[in-house]
Order: sequence, then C-alpha cells, then structure tokens
Amino acid sequence: MAVANNELEKVIIQSVMEELAKKGLLSQKGKDHVMSAAMMDTPIVPNTESKEMVTFPPQEEMQISNPFNADAVKAMKKLTPARIGIGRAGTRPKTMSLLRFLADHAVAQDAVFLDVSEEFLQRMNLMSVQSAAASKDEFLQRPDLGRRLSVEAVKTVSEKCEKNVQVQILIVDGLSSSAIEANIPDLLPALMQGLKSSGIKVGAPFFVKNGRVWIQDHVASIVNSDLIISLIGERPGLGTAESLSAYMIYRPNENTVEADRTVISNIHKGGIPPAEAGAHLTDVIKQILAAKASGVKLNQQK
Amino acid sequence: MLESTNQRITSVGIDIGTTTTQLVISQLTIENTASGTLVPRVEITDKEVIHRSQIYFTPLLDRDLINAAAVSQIVESEYQAAGLTPEMIDTGAVIITGETAKKENAKAIIDALAGFAGDFVVATAGANLEAIYAGKGSGAAQYSAQRHQVTVNIDVGGGTSNYAVFHEGKAVDSSCINVGGHLIEFDRQGDRITYISEPAKIALESTGQRLQAGERVTLPQLRPIVKAMAECVVDVLKTSTHVGLTKELLMTPPLQLAQSIRKVMISGGVADYVYALNGPTTMAEVTAFGDFGPLLGWELRVSLEKAGFVLEKPNETVRATVIGTGTQSVNLSGSTIHLQENTLPLRNVMVISPFISTIPETPQKIAEVVKTQMLRLQVDHSEGVVAIAMRGPRTMSFADISILAQGLLLGLEDYLSTDKPLIIVIEADCGKVLGQCISASANRSLEMVCIDQLEVENCDYIDIGKPLMGGRVVPVVLKTLVFNR
Repeated sequence: MAVANNELEKVIIQSVMEELAKKGLLSQKGKDHVMSAAMMDTPIVPNTESKEMVTFPPQEEMQISNPFNADAVKAMKKLTPARIGIGRAGTRPKTMSLLRFLADHAVAQDAVFLDVSEEFLQRMNLMSVQSAAASKDEFLQRPDLGRRLSVEAVKTVSEKCEKNVQVQILIVDGLSSSAIEANIPDLLPALMQGLKSSGIKVGAPFFVKNGRVWIQDHVASIVNSDLIISLIGERPGLGTAESLSAYMIYRPNENTVEADRTVISNIHKGGIPPAEAGAHLTDVIKQILAAKASGVKLNQQK
Repeated sequence: MLESTNQRITSVGIDIGTTTTQLVISQLTIENTASGTLVPRVEITDKEVIHRSQIYFTPLLDRDLINAAAVSQIVESEYQAAGLTPEMIDTGAVIITGETAKKENAKAIIDALAGFAGDFVVATAGANLEAIYAGKGSGAAQYSAQRHQVTVNIDVGGGTSNYAVFHEGKAVDSSCINVGGHLIEFDRQGDRITYISEPAKIALESTGQRLQAGERVTLPQLRPIVKAMAECVVDVLKTSTHVGLTKELLMTPPLQLAQSIRKVMISGGVADYVYALNGPTTMAEVTAFGDFGPLLGWELRVSLEKAGFVLEKPNETVRATVIGTGTQSVNLSGSTIHLQENTLPLRNVMVISPFISTIPETPQKIAEVVKTQMLRLQVDHSEGVVAIAMRGPRTMSFADISILAQGLLLGLEDYLSTDKPLIIVIEADCGKVLGQCISASANRSLEMVCIDQLEVENCDYIDIGKPLMGGRVVPVVLKTLVFNR
C-alpha cells in the first residue's frame, strides 16, 4: 500500500511539474531538480543557488474556461481583489490559483515575521527603539508586552525626544513590516510638510519595533505631546500585506479606552495612496487639536 | 466643524433641440459612503426627477434662429409650475442640440437665460456630449454596466442621430449623422411637402428621386428615401469605413467599433415608432407631426433587425437627452482635495492638457511644456482663467508629486502674476497632496483649486461649483462647446 501511495505521489508531482513547465512558470532545470528529489524519495533540499523567480499570470486574468459572459467576470474582478473568477478543476482550485494563494500567504507571513530593515531606518533617518517584547515570538504571544516600551527604550525616549510638542509621530511595525517600508517613504514627508505648513510643532518621528497600537499611550506619557499618532502596519490579509493604519489620540491617560482613538485605515497603493493620506491626516490632526478630543468624543463634537 | 452626512442639490437640465425643447428638474442626494475609519468618499447616491416639463416645439424666429426670449419664457413658466425660484437651482446644464447648435443661438440663449436660470446654469452643446447624455438618460449606460454588454444608444431626433457606445457604464465612442425625422416637413396629416432640408436633398439625390417643396407624395414614393436614411444610421454600427450617402451625412468621425455591438437602444422623438407594434400605413399617419418621424422610426427598426442587431427598450425615449442632461451633467470631484479660494463658483473655465503622454522628469522640463502651452493660448485669444488638466504625476511617490508641483508653479509664473486663480484638475487620487505641495513651494498665498478623480480629457470647458459637504467636494460640469469639431 505504501508503495502504491508512493507511486501515486510521484505521478502527481510529475504531472504538476509538467503542467507548470508547460505554462512557462518553471524552467527545465527547476523541474528536473524537483523531479529527481521526488524520484529518489529524498526530501527536497531547496536549491539555494538558483535565483529563479516564479512569475504568475496577471491577477485580473480570468481563469474560468468557457465563461457564459467573460465581460461580466472581468468587470466583477475589477471591483475586488478577492479570489473570484478563478475557475476550478473538478472540486478543487486550479494549480495557478492554489500557487497564488500559497504565495500570497507567504507574503503575509513575511510581513509579520520580517523586521523593518536597518537600511530603511537609516535612509528615513529614524531613531529606533523597541517595545518590551524582545522577539517576534514574544511579541505575538504576549500582546501586553507590545503595548509598552522596554526599559532601555524609556530611557532613550526620555533623553532624546523633544517634550511638550503638539504632535508626536510614531512609526510602529505592528503586524506588517512590509506596510512600513511600502508606505512611510511617501506618507511621512507629506504629513510632515502638511503639519509644518499649518504651523504645528512636531517632535522628530521615531520607529518602534515589536510595537502595538497602545504603545502610543506609553510614549505620550513620556514626551507629553498634545496628540500622538501611530503609523502602524495592519494585520496582513491575502489581498494585500502592505496596508497601513494611522491611530491618533488626544492626550491619552490611564482612563483611555479604544473609543478615544481616531483611526484612518487602508492606506496603501490600492487604497488611499500614501502621499494623499499624509495630506488628509494633516486635516484630521488639525481637527483633533482644535477640538482637544479624538475618537468618539471628536465625532460627538461635529 | 459641522459636517452633515448628506446634502441635497437641485439640478436643472434644459434640452433645446431642432424640433423640441424640454426641461427637467431633479434632486441629487450626495453622501459620504465610506465607513468611519476610512478616508471619506462622497458620492451621488440618489437622483430623483422632481419635475418634467411639457414637450414644447422649439420656438424659432426663422428656420435657423432660436427665439431665445420665448425659450426663457418657457423656462420661467416651468419653474413656476415646479414651485421653484432660480435661487433654488444649484447646478445644471443647457444643451443646444442638432441643427440648432449654431454659435449665434448659443450666445443668444446664454444671454437670455443668464438672468434667472440659476447661478450655475450655462449653455452647453456638442454632438458627443448630447449623445452621451441621451445614452445616460435612456438607460443604455446603466444597461451596459448591469448586463456587462456593449450597448449603443442612438438618439434619433428631428435633425440628427447621435450615437453613444457604452461599455461597463462608460461612454467609449460617439458619433453623429445628419439623419432625423424632421428633415422633410409636410402639412400636418397631409401629403404635401412644405420644406426639404439640405441633408434630405442629398439623400434624395442618392436615391435618384426628384421631390420638391410644394409637391404631394405617396407613401411608396416617400419610403425609399426614408429607408435609405435608416440604412445609413445602421451602416455606422456595422463598419468604420464609409462611402456614398452614409459618408456624406456623417457629421463627425464615424464610430470606431473597437468592440462589436449587438445591443441597440433608440431614444429621441422617433424612438416610440421604433418600438411600435405596426408601421404607419397611410401618409396621414406618417405626417402626424408634420414630418416623417413615424416612418423613419419604423424603417430603422426594420433595418436594424435585418442586420441582426438586438433592440432593447430604453427607460426614456423622447425625454432621454433632457433627463440625462438634468441628472448626469454634474460630476463630483474626489473627496480629498485642496481648496484655498474665494472665487468659486467659476464658469466656463477653459481646460488645457499640456502633457501629451507622461509628465517630464524635472520641474524645469515640466515648466517648459506648460509655458509653451500658455504662450500658444495667449496668441490664440484668451486672457481668461484656465484649468490645467493631467492624468497624474509621473508616479504616485511624494517626490514626483513635489516635482510636479514645482514644475507647475514655475511654468505658470506669468499667469499667476496676474492674480488669476490656479486651477488644477488631476485624474489620479492626489489632489490634496499636490495642492499642499504647491502651497508649500509657493512663497506667497495663492488662490487655488486643486481637484482630483475627474477625467476631463475630451472637454473644452468646465464649470466648478461652490464646495459641498463642508468643503470636501466640488461639483463639476464638463462641457464641450464646439459643435462638430
């Protein structure tokens, strides 16, 4: 039985590989590598020398065979990044949609587990501190640690940050480092320009590693700013791993609740473009400063 | 900081055609449809026609000149009937169509209506725009989006037939041919010809018939020429290269037919006869309105069906254009825009699109392009206010948006030195940040309107209304003033 299963497995692997090669998504070399590993019953050792990239067909490509109204499917696909119009092979997804699903899932995992690179922080001239969560694992397992600064970070922030400013900007990795690297280069300069033009006093923005939204309350208690805004990576989905949110709060304290925060979400190239978001956030910040309130309290004043 | 969640505006549409003049008043509801945690998205969420006028025969002074004073009386009496005063009208458009779309008519009507047709209503004409409004009013645009099928609307009026092709709700192609139901005039319910227009004479020549004003005709005599005209209308749907009569009667470039057409809707005065159960059988039926509209409608249906097109029924026939004009002429800008002004509303702002393809890389090169365009404008005429239109910055990066801002300021130095407002219309969603960049780069405070998410490629002029929803959006009317360009 085991042998039969094994044979069947080989046949399946072979036909998948051939299908991929036929579609030009896998080179002959790549195919041979996988096949030989399958035939020898040895686990696949990733071929680290190969820099081969897999290219997917464009997402808007309609995958249904013999559609009744192809235009309708195309129009619907335009309205959503969701996986519709992908066809099926029997009761299962087609090879291409399955691979895309796995790839998008991998992108989402990378967004969570990778760190924002040192090179990026230097290029953006951002000071970096860390939350009380010492590692990604701890960050994911202990939400409470991500909500406050490490002892060392408290010291750094108290020594280096300007106090009593109107606005303090934090850049927080949260659940997507990819969102930070994708959006901050366009969002931050637009926001800084907008605040400066409006004559608002802003402290130097800095980066917090392994941080969650609430960490802004801890920082605000040290820098004593009127308003604190966190630009934080959103939990990635299979549609995009690059979405960023801006959480703003006016003078948080020990009684602060979630409803006290104003949030603008969905900042990424497929949502509100980051540069435009920077200009819009300037308006929201001006409203909060004028109303001396954020979140639901701000909305109630409107 | 008071911000209402919805607002209503009243829009008027006036259609002055070769044969008929109509007016509708509608109420548009605009709302922020985005949820609280998203950037606002203000949209028109409801369009309700609150008043439909009678259908008037267009008052004429002579064959070509409109009696503008009589038109203004019609408008005034319809306002009264609707219980509205001019001050209650927020926006709208007058569209002068078909044979009547002559410059002297447009001018006379603008002058006659300026006083009481609301703060914002202006004359608009142009075969393309008329066709598109008709197709939106008839429901063809909506049909193409709901059924995901390329749909053409042909608005067949007294003097012209206007085509608009819709794909997923958007107009993708338009054309106009000089075929209409009123090109030959008769004694009402009689058989004596009272007038033959130029295009009808051309059609007569091509069918080899000799008819003259004053003569009496029989149905079998009249049918061939009407059939020939109907076939010309259908020809335009079949091919984009034309010869003979079709070529002679086309008033604009023909349809490109990039996507093949199967579904056809007919609107306009002739439409009811296209969808009638039976064709006219006597001359009295043909000339019920003193023209040959009923026969043209029937022959059009016969020709379309013979050619294999599927006829769909429109929501509106004779009122399609005016309803389209009244409810569809207003567009809203994007919901994050930059306004720094005291000058709105602005009317008849000339639109120039200086960048042919992509935006150059440096502020200097951008400025050069803009300057060249502005100089050309000065040579031409205008000292007026202009709007600079473009697709978007080179990329959506902040760096490229800043470069664009600097380039525009540099290129418009001379223009801005005369204290005219800076008006930018950009298609990409970056109006607010572009405005912010321009403001930051300018070393003085500027009158500025920087609006986004509007496609103005094919239009000559725009009207920009007073800001709505607490300054979040501005209403914009896009206009093509030149007929047959």
